[in-house]
Amino acid sequence: MNRGNRIALACVYWAFVLYVFVPLILMILMGFKDSKFIGFPIRSWTLDWYTGVFSDAEVLYTFGYSVVIAVLSTLISVIVGTWIAVLLEGRRFWGRAVTFGLMVLPALVPGIISAIAFRIYARWLGIEPGMGAIVWAHAVHNVPFVSLVVMARLSTLPKSQIEAARDLGADPLIAFLRITLPYLVPAILGASVFCLLLSFDDFVRSFFLGGYEPTLPVLIFAMLRSGMSPEINAIATVALVLTAAIGIWAERFTRRTNKESQI
Amino acid sequence: MTYDASVRKDSDGLSRATGDRPFWGRLAGWGPYRAFAALVTASPRRQFVILATFPILWLLTQHLGPMLQMLRVSLVDAYPVAQDAPQAFTFDNYLRFFGDRIFWMPFFRTLTFAAVFTFCTLIITYPVAYFLARHVSRRNQMLMLLLLLIPFWVGEIVRTYAIMILLGNTGAVNLVLKWFGFIDRPIPFMYTSFSMGIGIVYLTALYMLLPLYSALEKLPKSYNEAAADLGAGAWTRFRRVTLPLTLEGISSGCTLVFLISTGFYATPVLLGGPSTTVFAETIAGFFHVAGDEWPTGAAFAVIMFVAALLITGVFQRLMKALRKGDTA
Amino acid sequence: MKKLTLNRRRFIGTTAMAGAALASPAYLRRAAAQGSGEVNIWTYNDFVPESFKEQFEAETGIKVNIRLVDDQGKQFNLLAAEQPNPTVDIMTVAGHRFLQFIDSELLAPLDTDRLSNWGNINPTFSESDWATINGEKWGAPILSGMEVLAYNTELVSQEEAMTWDTLFSEKYSGQTAYIIQDMMSIVMLMMGYDGNMVAYMDDPAKAAAIVEEAKQFLIEKKPLVRKYYDSGAEVQQMFVNQDIALGHSWNGPAAALINDGFPLGMTIPNEGSYGFVYTYNVANNAPNVDNAYTFLDAILASPEIGAAMTKASGFISTYKDASNYLTDLEKKSTSFPEEQLANLQFFRAEANEMKYGLVDPAVEAVKAA
Repeated sequence: MNRGNRIALACVYWAFVLYVFVPLILMILMGFKDSKFIGFPIRSWTLDWYTGVFSDAEVLYTFGYSVVIAVLSTLISVIVGTWIAVLLEGRRFWGRAVTFGLMVLPALVPGIISAIAFRIYARWLGIEPGMGAIVWAHAVHNVPFVSLVVMARLSTLPKSQIEAARDLGADPLIAFLRITLPYLVPAILGASVFCLLLSFDDFVRSFFLGGYEPTLPVLIFAMLRSGMSPEINAIATVALVLTAAIGIWAERFTRRTNKESQI
Repeated sequence: MTYDASVRKDSDGLSRATGDRPFWGRLAGWGPYRAFAALVTASPRRQFVILATFPILWLLTQHLGPMLQMLRVSLVDAYPVAQDAPQAFTFDNYLRFFGDRIFWMPFFRTLTFAAVFTFCTLIITYPVAYFLARHVSRRNQMLMLLLLLIPFWVGEIVRTYAIMILLGNTGAVNLVLKWFGFIDRPIPFMYTSFSMGIGIVYLTALYMLLPLYSALEKLPKSYNEAAADLGAGAWTRFRRVTLPLTLEGISSGCTLVFLISTGFYATPVLLGGPSTTVFAETIAGFFHVAGDEWPTGAAFAVIMFVAALLITGVFQRLMKALRKGDTA
Repeated sequence: MKKLTLNRRRFIGTTAMAGAALASPAYLRRAAAQGSGEVNIWTYNDFVPESFKEQFEAETGIKVNIRLVDDQGKQFNLLAAEQPNPTVDIMTVAGHRFLQFIDSELLAPLDTDRLSNWGNINPTFSESDWATINGEKWGAPILSGMEVLAYNTELVSQEEAMTWDTLFSEKYSGQTAYIIQDMMSIVMLMMGYDGNMVAYMDDPAKAAAIVEEAKQFLIEKKPLVRKYYDSGAEVQQMFVNQDIALGHSWNGPAAALINDGFPLGMTIPNEGSYGFVYTYNVANNAPNVDNAYTFLDAILASPEIGAAMTKASGFISTYKDASNYLTDLEKKSTSFPEEQLANLQFFRAEANEMKYGLVDPAVEAVKAA
């Protein structure tokens, strides 16, 4: 590869990093502003907004509540999404195209529409609004993302491996658990990160399906009514740091285990 | 999460698959499991039925159910209705769109914006994905990719307000430009299609980056080297080898981004100007402001949805033809 | 492989546990409260002062569950989706939106005889013409807002801010913003018509012509405006970023900026303006009606509570004597000179169906133009 190209590409990458991080840095910075509104100029600084986050039981509870919802809905999405992907990938059957269409459907419906549709449907099914309903709506919404990612990975699985395992006497179930599933792990992990993120960030579904406990985005929306205060920036920053810490920890875990399994 | 690691793992998994490890061997030999496996895998047909039953049920009840409810709402004359009030079937909600030109403008604007922003996202993220997949050591790829994902953990609204702080008249960009003496009076970036584009690309970059990255990452380096050996220049190599082989990633990334950007609501509303109203805003208006026009809102949502699907369908066909043309 | 699954399980396990640990206090709280009664409220952030809530819970043993909402439309949608068995007892509806809720049978009429503190509300609000519909009262007024012209005092003079015309002048081209639905009513008022459209209820043709005129005016002035906005936070941010020099606003968000020391002023211009009132309403088929009345009576008990709501929201309290509990700056940001108040009238709901049937498409047309 030629050197000039490489440098140019590296510049593009870092420019992109700058683009995605500058708003973030501004957000963090504004959390230190001693005023009820964000924006320049910053005349005086304060730590109160950040320390306030840690002493505000409601915010911490809301964060925990959102994390639990994200984890539970991701678990469901991953199981169902993988199952659907296994059904769809590399199989020809009557109605496959329709099945595929149904699979992607929730990802394509605009948020507000899907939220109201879920609310009507939940009422029709008799599901009470609250944590269960939010988990359910998030899980359904995230299934297509899991399925798509897993299908892409599955399509690169060498058929010969399954066949070899079958030849050696493994039944399809064991062959799946021992060959296919491990092969899918990177895709499943990637998809999980995605699902966690979508769930954690979701406002509309959480609002329409939630009960009296707000999720973090719902709380932020409500607070926004009295103005975009540095307090919101501080909350978002703390949430970011906590979730990023979890993310980095998870990444190091997988990397370490990958390394171990390579030996 | 590196890919080659698990491939290697699979090949040694192969030797283990026959049950030489105690757990799997014992499981395979365990009576009840054998009976269960025999029952489940008795014939390919039964296998398929068992595999397919749960997903099909899920798709019908969970994915289709809410949408059918929506469709039903779009075909009635009043919803929600007071108890026991009459409700009649009607196509008027759909006809309203075709009968009134004022809805066409935001509709076509949304499709145009979505297409343009999708293209911008592609142009911006392709080199990024390329750099990550081809020029960064495998060890660091995941870390650098994760680095890019961090900002996406921040909620849409907070991020959008951060962009206002960036682009406003007293925003960071204007402050810096002024400080360097490039400008005297601030440049009004905000509330234009530019600020809206900045915000939307920010939201969609991730959906484009991941498919592109995985397509590029799968591409064997040897192809490029072979092309280089045959005397192809960098641009030719890219155009004749890399680009055609990543068309699938481009196509799936663009499809995803296009469909998602037709549904954006908060960001265009907050960052756009008086002349950038998008269709999602029109739809939301029927649910929010007017409140009692759910059926019209639902019908409009169906129209938007079908239009977006049609466009991506045509796009996918085109990409398929392009791919075939290239390999032929 | 086994190790990986194990680790992953452990990872997810610990995350869930950490979440559950963080979450547990509230679950405990909830479980503990189940013995006594509850009251479920949908309201805006800070509309129920925290200190009042704690005191009320301690004194009555009734647990107050608050669900934060951020706009009227969402409350309506949510409540409509919950019918006929809502989970909510008390909602926060703006007075001029009553009719929509009442028509859909979402509200129960308010029995003011059950509220011993009803008299603590300033009669300007409790006995106003909009407050009685179908011969019944539908809500207890708590805070009052109005459409004002807000301006950056370093860029715009008060004299200029005394007329809505400045909002459409070439001088401030590209430095103005407004909520377009609200502006339709104001433009009608500017043109000398009844923005509530009650006067034209028997003359739909005239009503349509007026809305058309207002619509054409806004389309003509569209090149001058920077932004059609929706929420208070947006207009505040535009002022702070100096993206605008003046704009139409509700008094609440503008007052919050003034209280923070931002050089902002607001007026009720000479052409007049509209006011609205937030009320607490009891939902139709509310699950805890008795607790709802207990709560309403308690929150109306003291002007101090009203003042606390004003401090948090920037809107004007409907309680008699609430201003006695405000600081000078807070008083300034929540009061207007008498001569300006004389130009204020309230939004009325009687003609809403006709009005919004005409105004909503007009708003779409202005946006699409």
